[in-house]
Formats: sequence, structure tokens, C-alpha cells
Amino acid sequence: MFGIDRRLVQNFDWMLLGLIALLACMGIVNLYSATTAAGDPLSDEVRRQLFSLGLGTAAALVVAAIDYRHFERLALPAYLVAIGLLVLTLVIAPVTRGSQSWLFGGRFQPSELAKVAIVLAVSRYFLRNPPGETRQLRDLFWPVLIVAAPVGLIVAQRDLGVALLTLLIGGTYFALVRIPWKVWFGIAALGVAALAALWTFGLADYQKERILAVVDPGRDPLASGYQVNQSRIAIGSGGLTGTGYRRGTQTQLRFLPTQHTDFAFSVVAEEWGFLGSSAVLTLYGTLLLWGLVVARSSKDEFGALLAIGVVGCLFWPAALNVAMVLGLAPVIGVPLPLFSYGGSALVTTLALTGVLLNVSMRRYVF
Amino acid sequence: MIGREQRTRLGGGDSVIPRRIPLIATIMALVFCVFYARLFQLQLIQSDDLRQRSQRNYVRTIRLEAPRGDILDRMGRVLATTRPAFGVQVVPNDLREPELVFEALGMLIDRAPDSLREQVGTPRGRARFQPVRLAGDLSQDQRGRVESHLYALSGVFTDVRPRRYYVEGALGSHILGYIGEIQRGQLEKRRFADYRAGEVIGQAGVESLLESKLRGRAGGRNVVVDVAGRLLRQIEKIEPKRGGDVVLTLDRDLQRAAEEALMPEVLGERGKIGAVVALDVRTGDVLAMVSKPDYDPNAFAGGIDSETWEALTEDEWRPMQNRAIAGQYPPGSTYKAFVAAAALEEGLVPPGKKIFCPGHFRLGRRTYRCWKRAGHGWVDLHKALVQSCDVFFYETGLALGVDRLAFFARGFNLGRRSQIRLPHEQPGLIPTSAWKERRFSEPWMKGETVSVAIGQGFNLVTPLQLALSYAAIANGGKILRPRLVLRSSDVDGNVTLGPEPEILGTVPVSERHLATVRAALEGVVHEPGGTGGRSRVPGIRVAGKTGTAQVVGLQHTEGIEEDEITFRHRDHAWFAAFAPVETPEIAVAAIVEHGGHGGSAAGPVVQRVLAAYFGDTEDRPEDERIEASAQPARVARVPGGIDVRN
Repeated sequence: MFGIDRRLVQNFDWMLLGLIALLACMGIVNLYSATTAAGDPLSDEVRRQLFSLGLGTAAALVVAAIDYRHFERLALPAYLVAIGLLVLTLVIAPVTRGSQSWLFGGRFQPSELAKVAIVLAVSRYFLRNPPGETRQLRDLFWPVLIVAAPVGLIVAQRDLGVALLTLLIGGTYFALVRIPWKVWFGIAALGVAALAALWTFGLADYQKERILAVVDPGRDPLASGYQVNQSRIAIGSGGLTGTGYRRGTQTQLRFLPTQHTDFAFSVVAEEWGFLGSSAVLTLYGTLLLWGLVVARSSKDEFGALLAIGVVGCLFWPAALNVAMVLGLAPVIGVPLPLFSYGGSALVTTLALTGVLLNVSMRRYVF
Repeated sequence: MIGREQRTRLGGGDSVIPRRIPLIATIMALVFCVFYARLFQLQLIQSDDLRQRSQRNYVRTIRLEAPRGDILDRMGRVLATTRPAFGVQVVPNDLREPELVFEALGMLIDRAPDSLREQVGTPRGRARFQPVRLAGDLSQDQRGRVESHLYALSGVFTDVRPRRYYVEGALGSHILGYIGEIQRGQLEKRRFADYRAGEVIGQAGVESLLESKLRGRAGGRNVVVDVAGRLLRQIEKIEPKRGGDVVLTLDRDLQRAAEEALMPEVLGERGKIGAVVALDVRTGDVLAMVSKPDYDPNAFAGGIDSETWEALTEDEWRPMQNRAIAGQYPPGSTYKAFVAAAALEEGLVPPGKKIFCPGHFRLGRRTYRCWKRAGHGWVDLHKALVQSCDVFFYETGLALGVDRLAFFARGFNLGRRSQIRLPHEQPGLIPTSAWKERRFSEPWMKGETVSVAIGQGFNLVTPLQLALSYAAIANGGKILRPRLVLRSSDVDGNVTLGPEPEILGTVPVSERHLATVRAALEGVVHEPGGTGGRSRVPGIRVAGKTGTAQVVGLQHTEGIEEDEITFRHRDHAWFAAFAPVETPEIAVAAIVEHGGHGGSAAGPVVQRVLAAYFGDTEDRPEDERIEASAQPARVARVPGGIDVRN
């Protein structure tokens, strides 16, 4: 099963690897600006991120090396383990910062695993029950349940940002199913009702404030509106060409909150201007399109389903993060994949891109 | 290993997946288009505005207070200036070992470590980066000690701020005024529109009057701060500009002499309460203006503490009040000069007319006493003024009547504000029958005329008014507007000469009759039997008049020795004078509250002022002295002074 075919090397997707590496390296360059004051040695964050980059690359290569068709057998166990860990988290994990989502002393977030498990499990389900054959709502019972169960558990941990993210990633697959427009409207109505219910019963006041701050950043400039405001100021003051690397005042003087994690994109926008920020955005777009090309050119449906899942895993956090940074979405702590500081997220993301590499290099091989 | 039946080839037309991928791509592309549009909006359309807001984040302007201009006397001697005050500040966040630092700093600046710790407190968040000012005015010693230990005191630094300094302490405090933080009510006024809260502003006296000249132009430093407010570096600095100087008409030495004249003779004894005004009779220049008790305006320079303020405002003798312009007293016998002038002008006392003074005067059933119980015998106007005979003026006053008397008194500008440019001036009071009708709805009684004729009763004058009206007697009848400022410049160095000497009016008495009064007033000082002998100055012909203002009716003090009368019930002592008689230069009025008799209590005060004024001329050779008095050289010598020969 580990047999390395010569053709695998020939067909290796250097373009994909290049895009990923470029984004990850730009992330580190940006992290350096955001965390290291002039004259200081490399910050701890940069060191740790470099280490994670190495670890993640290794993970990606390992994931790429194993033929993805073996993953199908991993799907069920992985899904069950993920559910089990989420339940365990609810039972034993301490509540930190309003949510209860970390295990093993804050090193491991079962919801990270849940994303992967959902991708595997839904891919396996749609492999056996082709999405083109769904005719009515009840045909969607199982895939909805596969997504809803972990999402529900994450909601129970009161980690609404991640729950939403997980829901969206799982939801990516529903773009494939063939159901009548009437049903789509029904789902939309249900969704609106669910959101209304969530607003009334499910959200804490601070969460409502964050959402309202998007509509009107001036309503409380020192609390929830503060981050959005400072981010907008940082982005806007970048102008066309930016203030220059490591010369953004919003970044360097720390007016920008959590600039090395959630607001890393604001740092790029301030210091590199419209040219830099749209270049990063374009790189992301290219990576995502490339992922879809991989899905389209996959030799089989399972590869395509996996690739679509990975694209979803990259697209949704990136979209939520950029929307938040640009003041278009509420502040939910979603980092920008590959770019933001955060070791486990970087390793996970790189490992997922390993799946894309995997599918891509096996597009001609059987 | 992998079931064949599960492996569906993607190339076949049966799979929906490849056909749906463009849909997914389109959705993602739409989302990205929104992002591009938003970036375009923020970074290319709103960027100027947002860049400004970014600048407002990190650039902070630190105001640098400008020193106020100096206040100088007419000879250019400094009365109020600005000196550097050294302070100590700490940034709580940068205190590495707070306990040790407080301990050490306490020793260096002579403070208890506990009070320093309390002042700093335990700030949280951004407040930790805001400097706390622990002391605002260190002595030279303390500053030296702190600065030589700065290397060991992390988070501690020294600063310099301008502070008002009144070189002569309390000297002239009522004229100079004081400064203080601008008050809320003032901030709302339009003329203070460019002031900020916390800024120092003249709150009284010349400091307030000439605020627009004395005020400097604040500078500033633009500095870069981080989110915590920590100062990182300076971008630019605009130096503050010192305010303009003001040259007063005051003469420091004369002012000091006048103040010393009211000081206690013996150390530890209470000083005299009262006021002295010295004027140049040719220009109206205020050469000295003293009010006692006074206060040290330096107490206000760094913000006055409530204890000192309460002590000042609640003192029963009201040290903040400028008695020279706001103290209203019956003029007593000093008023007789005006009664005499009125009677002469009205032809009531033709040359040679005499009245017999038996020591008392009868009107109806009441008897009015002369101060000399034995009586003065036959007195003419000259002798009546010289010896201050009451009976002569009872009769003369009755002959004039209250309203004619008031006409002349007002002609000397009594009962009316002098228009000096100082706040809180009181107008005094010259009663008429109409006034009494209005005020009390009662007709005027003849007996009241008798009182008014010797300056008692309803009459009220301020020391400044009395000095001005005696100046008018001296200068041939001209009522001058008192002048305080010779010259001033503003912050840009534009010099403004003080107001020209201004004649407000002329007294309704001819020069011939004024000369008669002047001769009699000279007699008061120089003739045997005159009441003002205590005011003689060697070599100078002085003219003046004593006065005693009753505080309570005679019935309370009748028959009691002066020393035994309660201090508060004792009479006020007046003396008003001018000199030299042949070419008058200076007029002085002094009141000593509860001083008793004018001649003995107030006379020596005026004498010391005149002696100080003529002191330097006395040392000079005779011919020069005469020249000096013939020409007002004293005024001409003054920089910016205006030589006025009347």
C-alpha cells in the first residue's frame, strides 16, 4: 500500500505545492512583522510557526503518500472517535473563555478532528449513495445527520464560531445533491427560523454585540466595535501600496487587536496596501480553484468528494476570516488558514492539503 | 483491497459531481468579488479618511505651556516673572521595584514613601502607562538629588514647567492679582474660546486685566504613542512662546515704602489695616497702591490648596479685598477741603470773614461739638482748615445746604467710580436730599447737613477717590483718570503704549479759590497748631488734611480713653496730601482702619511715602533738585513714560 510509483513523482502537483508553500511562507513573513519589534531576535511565535510549518509539511507528504482510497475505511472509525471526543469534551473539559472546547490541557481541540471526520464520512456516504440520485428531502436524512451530530455537540460546547464553520464545511457537499427548488426554499426558511431562534435564545449578549458591530461599528467603539474599527483603519491606511513592511503603525504600535492570529490579513493590508492584500486574496482564490480542478480531474468520485471537502475546509474559514477582518461579518475567532499564527491549525491545514496533493498525483494512476 | 463495485469512474457521464463543480467555483468567486470590492472601497476610496484616523491613533500632541510675560514697575524692575518649576513623574508600569523606588524617592524629595505610594495607587490597563506627577515644584537641592539618582530609579523622570513667580512676594498683590486654572464658567465665554481646561489664566488684578498681553503662545510636541499610550518617539516640536511684558505705572520702591508704612513698628505686633494710594497729579499715574492685610500671590502659582484659600477668604479682615478702591469710608475732616472750596466759589466766605467757635454748635435742640471742646475762638477759613475747626464747617455747610455741597463734591469726582481699570471698584456716596427721599422716603434733616459738612454721616469715599480729588486740588482742578499701565507688548512683540493721560473733567472751582485752599492745606502741615505736622518732609512743602472717620456714634466712645475702646469701635484715621506745594507732583491718601486720629495715625504713613518719593531728590545738589521739580523729569526718565506738563 505504500508502493511509490514512478508516475506518482512525475505527476506530482508542483503548482499546488507551490501555492501552499507560498501562502505559508508569506504567513511567516507577515507573522514576523506582527510579532517582532525592531532590533529584537526572532519572536517565539515565529519560531513555533516555523516548527509547525516543518511538521505540517511532513504530515502533508505522509498524507499524500498513502493512496487516498484507503481513507474510505478510516471514515467510520474516525467519525466515531471524533464524536466520542466531542462528548468527552463536554463531560470533562474545563470552560475557558466562555467555551468548553479544549482537551488535554488546551493542546487539542476535538472540533478540528471533527472537520476531517465529517469530510471523510460524508465522502464515504455520497460514494455509496450518489448525490445525483437524491430526489426528495428524506434522501438527505443521513448526510444531514452526519453533519448535524458533531455540529450540535460543538454548539453544546458554546463554541458557535467553530460550529458555524463545521456546518458550512459539511454543507459544501449539499451543493452536489439534486433536489427541487421548493425544497431549497424550505431549507432556507428553516435556516432563517433557526437563526431567529438562535438570536433569541442561543446567543449571549457579547455575541449579539459582535454581530451588531458589523452593521454599525460606531455603536460601541471601545468594546466589540473596537476590533472591527481598528481593523478597518489598518486596512484603509494601507492605501494602494501600503505603509511598507514592518512600518504599519496600526500593527507595530499594537492598535490592531490579535494581529498575529485573527487579524493577520489586516497586517498585510496595512503594510502592503491594496496591491498586497488583493495579491494574497488572489493566491487564495487560485489555490481554491486549483483544488476544484483537482476534484474535477480526479480519477474517481471518492477523490473528487475528498477534494471538494478539503476545498471547503480551506474556503470557509478563509471567507469568514476575511469577511470579519473587512468588517463584513461579526468577529468570530476564525483564523486565516495557512496564514494566521497557530501551530495545530497550520499542521491540520497542511495535512488536509496533503489530501489534495494525494488526489492530484493519482489522477492518472490505477 | 478496494471493492471494484464501489469505485465509480468519474469520466463516465453518470456522475453529478463534475457538473456541480462550476457551481461551487461560481459561489466562491462571488464571495471573493465581494472581498475585492470591499478592499477597493477601504483602501482606495476611504483610505485618506482612515489614514487620518490611524494618525489620530498614534500621534499625540503634548502641550507645552508657554511662560507668561513679566510684569514690571515703571523703572523696569521685575514684579512678576516666570521661573522653571521642576517636577517628578513616574510611569507606574516602568517601576521595577516600586517599594524600593518609593522609599528612595521619598528620601530624595522629603516625602513619606506611603504618600507617594498612595498617589500612584495601583492603576490597571492603559492607566499603568500614564505618568503620575508626584511633585510639581522641587527645591534646587531636591532636584539635584533626584537627578543624580535617576539611573537607579526605573520609571522615574523629571520635568520642567513654567511657574508664575512674584519676586516681591505680597508686594502690590492687589494690583498684580494672581493666576489660576481657568474655571468652567470662564471656558464657556467667547473671549476665552481658545483656552483649554486646565490652562492657567489671570484671575485677578493686572494678571486678569492684561491677560491677552501676558499670555504666551503654547507650543507642543507631536509624539508617537502605542496602544497603551506609551511615548515612543518625537515627531516634531513647536517651541512655546513667552507672553508679552507689561510695564506698570507703579514705582516698586514707593510701593514698598507705602507697605512698610503700614507694617508693625515692633516685630510681632499686628500691622495696620488700611490702604494707601499715591498718584502723579500731572498724569494720573498710580505710583503706589497698597491695601493691608494682603496676601502672597505666589500661593496661587501652583494651584492654591483649599486650606490656604479658605484662610484667605474667611479671614475677618478680608485680605483679598483691595481697600484702596473697594473700601468705602466716611471721609471725615479731609472732606472740609471740598466744603471750603464750595463755600469760596459760592461767595459764602468773603476774605476776612470769621466765625466764632465756642467749642460747640447748637441747631434746634441739639448740640454739635467741635473736636476741641475749649473752642477755637474767632476762626477764618484758613485757620478753620489748619486747625480743622468743626463749628466753622457746621455753619458753612448749613449755609451751603446739602445739595449745593453735593454738587461741588461730585465736581471733585467723589461719589463716582474713578474708571481705574481694576474690577470691584466702589463708587462711594455723596448724599443729596433727593437721594435720601429715594432711599429712605424721608425728607432731609438739617442736622444731617451738619454731619455731612464735616465728612461724617452718609458720606463715603474710597482712598483712591480721595487721592484723585486732592490731586485735582493740587493740579489746578483737573480730574484725571487713574492710569496703571505705561506700556505693554503682546506675544508677538507688538508694543502698545498705555492709555494717554486722560482728563475726565474739571472741578467747578476757580483756580483763585483752589489756591486759597492749597495755602490752607499747606498750613495744616507747616503752621503751628496745624493738625498735620506729623507729615512734614524736610525740604519739601507739603499740603494735606487730616481726617477721622467715625465708626460708631460718639455715645459709644464718649468719655473713654482711646486705648480702652474696643479696636473695632475705634475711628478710622485719614490723611490726604500733595507735594511739593509750588509745583505739585504727587498726591497721597492713606487710611488706617481703627487707627484713631488722622494726624497721629495716618499722617506718618503719608510722611513716609512722601519721604521715599523725594528721598532721592534730596541727595542731589540744590540746583538740580529745583530743575527736577520744575520739569517732571521723573516721568520723562521712565522708559515709555509720557511727559505731560499741565
